[in-house]
Amino acid sequence: MTLEKKHISAAIILIAAAVISIITGRQFLAKHYPETFYPSPGLTRTGKLSDYFSGLQGTENDSRVYFFEGEEEGSTVLLLGGTHPNEAASGLVAVLVLENVEVTVGRLIVIPRANRSGFTVNDPMEAHPQYYSIPTPNGERRFKYGSRLTSPLDQWPDPLVYSHRPSGQRLSGFETRNLNRAYPGRPDGSLTEKTAYGIVQLIKKENVNVAFDLHEAAPEIPIINAIVYHEKAEEVALNAIFELEMEGISVSPELSPSNFHGLSHREWGDYTDVYPFLMETSNPIQGRLRGETSAELIVEGVSPEYRMALESGALQIAYKETGEPIERRVARHVTCFRRVIEAYNQLGNKPVILENLPEYEDILQNGVGAYIVAGK
Amino acid sequence: MRRVSMIAVLMIMVSLSSFPALAQDKAETAAECGMKFAQPVLISSAGQSADVKLVGMMAKRMKLKAEVKVMAKPEDLEGMKTLIVVPGFSAKGLGAAGISQKDEMERVVALVEAANKQEIPILMIHIGGNARRKGQSDAFNELVAKNSKYMIVVEQGNEDGFFTELSKETGVKLETAEKIPGTMKPMKNLFE
Repeated sequence: MTLEKKHISAAIILIAAAVISIITGRQFLAKHYPETFYPSPGLTRTGKLSDYFSGLQGTENDSRVYFFEGEEEGSTVLLLGGTHPNEAASGLVAVLVLENVEVTVGRLIVIPRANRSGFTVNDPMEAHPQYYSIPTPNGERRFKYGSRLTSPLDQWPDPLVYSHRPSGQRLSGFETRNLNRAYPGRPDGSLTEKTAYGIVQLIKKENVNVAFDLHEAAPEIPIINAIVYHEKAEEVALNAIFELEMEGISVSPELSPSNFHGLSHREWGDYTDVYPFLMETSNPIQGRLRGETSAELIVEGVSPEYRMALESGALQIAYKETGEPIERRVARHVTCFRRVIEAYNQLGNKPVILENLPEYEDILQNGVGAYIVAGK
Repeated sequence: MRRVSMIAVLMIMVSLSSFPALAQDKAETAAECGMKFAQPVLISSAGQSADVKLVGMMAKRMKLKAEVKVMAKPEDLEGMKTLIVVPGFSAKGLGAAGISQKDEMERVVALVEAANKQEIPILMIHIGGNARRKGQSDAFNELVAKNSKYMIVVEQGNEDGFFTELSKETGVKLETAEKIPGTMKPMKNLFE
């Protein structure tokens, strides 16, 4: 009788373990399915990062590249989203742009998921959601929420100290999986370094003139609501920031330090002819004070804890009383992206004309969902 | 009767003593107070934020005879008639300049002292809003504000009254602008 009881208990535990394994296994696998995007009719062709560096073929980071080419010749712009997959507005802006943009002069290249490997996992110990949803007029659209870093399943183990090549700069070991510490990259390096190398090869081979790397950061980080620029792109950055100020959008200019290596705003500028710009918005879910962590926090950006911090006046934080909703973060990025291109055009360079992108107030009023296709 | 007289005298004294403070609260604009600065102008940073470049761009648009030197030293004041200092700390800016915060503070102190010694008036222009307040910025903000002859500040940087208090304390005139482009008008008035 006792033996039978044991068998029953064992069977229950085994079944429970199997059910949990199936559920979590399916969730894990689902994170590896590529997201579907719905490019605008302005799309002229697609490619992959492995077209520029074959060493990425067959890897998680052989990301899709989307081309929008105008009928008139002009400059070429690159827009990179998803360098850090836990910075939601970055990837979302790239999707919004590729699902709306029409290019009449010049070319736009969009890589919406620069570090695709990072979208397959979440950062440990952060309680981050796996997905977040954006309401659209035709239903919700779900997006992956990922990790700041390349998945350890794709690149492991981390060294104790990460030595950036070729500068020799030393950082914490985990930064070896940070795409924005890996530029200019190496063809025989880690997956993250190979990805960085592939992106730099694309910039060179496609003769990209202006390139954007979109980011978000915790409200307490000093470099926020900012445009970081390489010194050779200073005039473009300052003119754009001045125009943004005229519209009531405050943006801090930040000059890229020449001695901080591996970052897009430094190495793209040093190793290619491109004018690089890195942009930051404020995302409460990335902050240490955020409290309850949920998909709603990514979208609504409302954190009572950050509000308390704001009211205390003890901290210098980029957080408004009404929160930092995804609409405002996306609107900032889209508007900054547009104004930098306009400033570039106005300074006598070969132009790039992008059409059919929403204005700042349009996104605030109508929501991001009004400008993306509903999920299927 | 004596008590009534004493109270009246006390009230008059209190009114008189508070009069300068009240006058300070109602800050005069550059145009109203008639203050003028001369050219050529040296524009420098205190804290190495790139805001100094924006001020330089505005000066260029206003056709001021101005030179931007983010790392200006006392010898750069030679031949200059005004020193504009744009305070605000930036870690990226310090990195770009390849110096420490301590180095930057020493440079700014030396520059401000040299300007004072040579009787070159300092105009402070703070355009960085919240991003260039508190934390490591306020030491630079305070140093420059206390040594300036006039302050132009974008309102967001004075939401807590930091510059208003400094203005009351030092008697340095303060003029605020809603946004960065709004600082061009008082700048223009001061250099006309």
